[in-house]
Amino acid sequence: MEVALLFLLIIGLLLVGVPIAVSLGLSSILFLLVFSDSSLASIAQTLFSAFEGHYTLLAIPFFILASAFMSTGGVARRIIRFSIACVGHFPGGLAIAGVFACMMFAALSGSSPATVVAIGTIVIAGMRQVGYTKEFAAGVICNAGTLGILIPPSIVMVVYAAAVDVSVGRMFLAGVLPGLLAGGMLMVAIYAIARIRNLPKGEWTGWREVFAAAREAVWGLLLIVIILGGIYGGVFTPTEAAAVAAVYAFLIATFVYRDMGPLATGDGRANLSLFRHPAALLTALVHPDTRRTLFEAGKLTVTLMFVIANALILKHVLTDEQIPQQITEAMLAAGFGPIMFLIVVNVILLIGGQFMEPSGLLVIVAPLVFPIAMELGIDPIHLGIIMVVNMEIGMITPPVGLNLFVTSGVAGMPMMAVVKAALPFLAVLFVFLILITYVPWISTVVPHTFMGPELITN
Amino acid sequence: QCDEGETVIKFSHVTNTDKHPKGIAATLLAERVNTEMNGKACMEVFPNSTLYDDNKVLEAMLQGDVQLAAPSLSKFEKFTKQFRIFDLPFMFKDINAVEAFQASDAGQAMLDSMQRRGLQGLAYWHNGMKQMSANKPLLLPTDAQGLKFRVQSSDVLAAQMEALGGTPQAMAFSEVYGALQQGVVDGQENTWSNIYGKKFFEVQDGITETNHGIIDYLLVTSVDWLDSLDPAVRDQFLTIVAEVTEARNKESTAVNAAAKQSVIDAGGVVRTLTPEQRAAWVKAMKPVWDKFADDVGADNIAAAQSANQMTN
Amino acid sequence: MHEPRTAFDRFQENFVAVLLGLMTVITFANVVARYILNTGILWGLEVTVFLFGWMVLIGAAYAVKTKSHLGVDAVLLALAPPRRRQFGLFAALCCILYALLLLKGSWDYWANFANLPATEGRWFPLGFEEKFRAKGWYETQDTPMPELFGLHPLDWIQDVFNEGEEYEKIPRLLPYFVLPLAMALLLYRYVQAFVALWRGRLDSLVASHEAEEAVEEAAQKLKDA
Ligand code: NA
Ligand code: NA
Repeated sequence: MEVALLFLLIIGLLLVGVPIAVSLGLSSILFLLVFSDSSLASIAQTLFSAFEGHYTLLAIPFFILASAFMSTGGVARRIIRFSIACVGHFPGGLAIAGVFACMMFAALSGSSPATVVAIGTIVIAGMRQVGYTKEFAAGVICNAGTLGILIPPSIVMVVYAAAVDVSVGRMFLAGVLPGLLAGGMLMVAIYAIARIRNLPKGEWTGWREVFAAAREAVWGLLLIVIILGGIYGGVFTPTEAAAVAAVYAFLIATFVYRDMGPLATGDGRANLSLFRHPAALLTALVHPDTRRTLFEAGKLTVTLMFVIANALILKHVLTDEQIPQQITEAMLAAGFGPIMFLIVVNVILLIGGQFMEPSGLLVIVAPLVFPIAMELGIDPIHLGIIMVVNMEIGMITPPVGLNLFVTSGVAGMPMMAVVKAALPFLAVLFVFLILITYVPWISTVVPHTFMGPELITN
Repeated sequence: QCDEGETVIKFSHVTNTDKHPKGIAATLLAERVNTEMNGKACMEVFPNSTLYDDNKVLEAMLQGDVQLAAPSLSKFEKFTKQFRIFDLPFMFKDINAVEAFQASDAGQAMLDSMQRRGLQGLAYWHNGMKQMSANKPLLLPTDAQGLKFRVQSSDVLAAQMEALGGTPQAMAFSEVYGALQQGVVDGQENTWSNIYGKKFFEVQDGITETNHGIIDYLLVTSVDWLDSLDPAVRDQFLTIVAEVTEARNKESTAVNAAAKQSVIDAGGVVRTLTPEQRAAWVKAMKPVWDKFADDVGADNIAAAQSANQMTN
Repeated sequence: MHEPRTAFDRFQENFVAVLLGLMTVITFANVVARYILNTGILWGLEVTVFLFGWMVLIGAAYAVKTKSHLGVDAVLLALAPPRRRQFGLFAALCCILYALLLLKGSWDYWANFANLPATEGRWFPLGFEEKFRAKGWYETQDTPMPELFGLHPLDWIQDVFNEGEEYEKIPRLLPYFVLPLAMALLLYRYVQAFVALWRGRLDSLVASHEAEEAVEEAAQKLKDA
């Protein structure tokens, strides 16, 4: 009962325009002061232990930074060129290439909106030039962009792993097959629509173009080798992999692609050579471009982590009042089996996704449902992937959907137009969600093969 | 579920409730308090670090936000460096010697040594003796040379690994299994029950039965809270604590023996040392004592040595 | 609030950028140390998480000024401007209350670590406590006191907070100081936002998503193309 009040307060504050972080934090503080005997100091302590006590979350700023260095436009352009060379000649080729490019960019970036911005900016314009409607282009990119959090690396997966204490490495590995599957399903859907509606197709430009484009794009794509290979090859922890990825992305953007930093020149002219300007090795560190990228990545980290830290305050208050136990008992007493339970989880997340930024929502919901899932014998990694896919759908459904906002901004379309445009592909993602929810094998086969099952020894 | 008027005792710990020696003891303590002290006191247990981790729980206790905790002994080095005695390698020859030292005057005095800082030790809870494992056989200390070992955050344990020519690495406990499996670190040290519970044996070449150190816990509360209790309530509570401690500590040897057997049954390799091999390990690690002797105090070391002899 | 950036604003931006850079370099250096130098930087992880906390908490105050905090503006956009302003002012008051309560909580948490009294009172400070247990001696886990070229720049705090006794590790009062500092800054920024809303220079506190600026830029590019 009291808990219902707490959640109503949070939603009320959200709707009148209080920032998410403050809505979560303030509601939790008021709840704690009224119903518990813990001190305000314990809230401050919890706020700080969002950093000190959750080493896993440290991967987030590094993945954001790596993605920021990779989002300078040059990387996306090279990836898109490669995609078009590979699949541009199919019916609906440019749209399929857009999905393919989103999948590749998702492998460099941990967030979905970043994927939409980077790929959407170029592909939507390109699609319109060859005769697609603006709506179709926006719908495709809006959906494919959600793969940013399913294909590793993924900030949302890091948050899930931190919230319930499972291995980030396993979560990343678990996202690979579902990510390929979701991307594949979207491409097939586009192909089918293209055949029916007779959409434009490009020309096969030959293997030479494929190889030339691949050679250009490979520096960026090597990032995923560093991240996944580094974690599974036993070179780094996931957090270290993220930091190495950030350093690598900086080096590639500054010294190889030279899209930014001291060796970059304005549009159109050839970039400078490092051999001619060796001082760049030092000046790159303090170059305004580097500083700006660090600040932009820092700012995004700040806003995300401030939400997460306040969600952790809510989690602390709920734990302090033993709410998760009560919910677990109630649900088990109601005789929920795994199937019914997963439906409930899906519904909670789909509704919650309407109001909340995905990471914050996960921090709150995951600890509530995790103990029940373990009682019911659900694989913790499978549960994580279900949650991630729900977050993806939340991003493209109204009224609140991160990718809808971003796509409408990038494409210059009203929100409702994007919503309508996204609908056919949203249906594809729904089928995908059902598949993921009831076929655990898709999520677990890769991590089990490489790392064995996740142990819950608690 | 506490009733109006009952003294609420929040016990925050970091393990499960039904398999780990500490978790079992905490559960038993809560059951007894909640039945025998019904109406007077009520204990809520928060397992699995859901409320606080070991690094934060003592802060929360001093703030009055939690009343009981049982961190491992090395966590108390911040409060008084005497507690480093429990991390020094080969200080105690077996768990009986540890038990004898803890029961001695020196050991009991350590329970009270942090009153100045606001903490009162109530009882020592055993986990057991530490064993070593790595991704290659460890029979002589030279085998550990150049390996990366995950250690608990402690200067003594870092120095111990450096004395072996290894590299100590700090790492969250939850990441250790993955790090061992992938080879980010090569080895670790732990008790049988932790090695079995966290399945470390699956991702190591084998476990060497070194018994070189111990992992025990200190059941601790705040001085201010204990003082605030009604004397009758306090006495009854402390009596229950003492009885639970005795019952569970008696079991600890069996728990670790069972865990060791389970490791073997599950296909883990367990290596025992010959007296000569063991002497080599002692010789390699004991120099660590010099560095921390002043922190620990000569009387405590003497008491530990006599505990070793007493339990022959 | 797209007002000109002051020197203080630029300082905060550089602060965020430099801390994120340091975090990356330390973590990267730890990998290099492990594989190339065969050692570990034991304090690396702890220092990095402290920098992380400082960056986010100080940055959170600055993010109020740049209107970067995420929120839901769907309802606000559906309202008539006068009503929207009322909602905005109410939201700002909620934020101010949040910052006030957390400022008290942060002070209470930090003060004893700096041998200072916490405040009395459950909701609001009602004076300072008279008796308390000082925790100036309480050290962090792994971070040693810094030593640069034989200099010990922080040793003076031993005399101030630890009765002259030597710290092996830096005391907790240093990293935790960010809490009261950041909450005071946050309070300042929310009051500033309230005033801006009152004067009509600002229409809401929140950004609807994390990439607003990037999207504006991208949309501009698309329009140009
Ligand atoms: Na991704
Ligand atoms: Na949504």
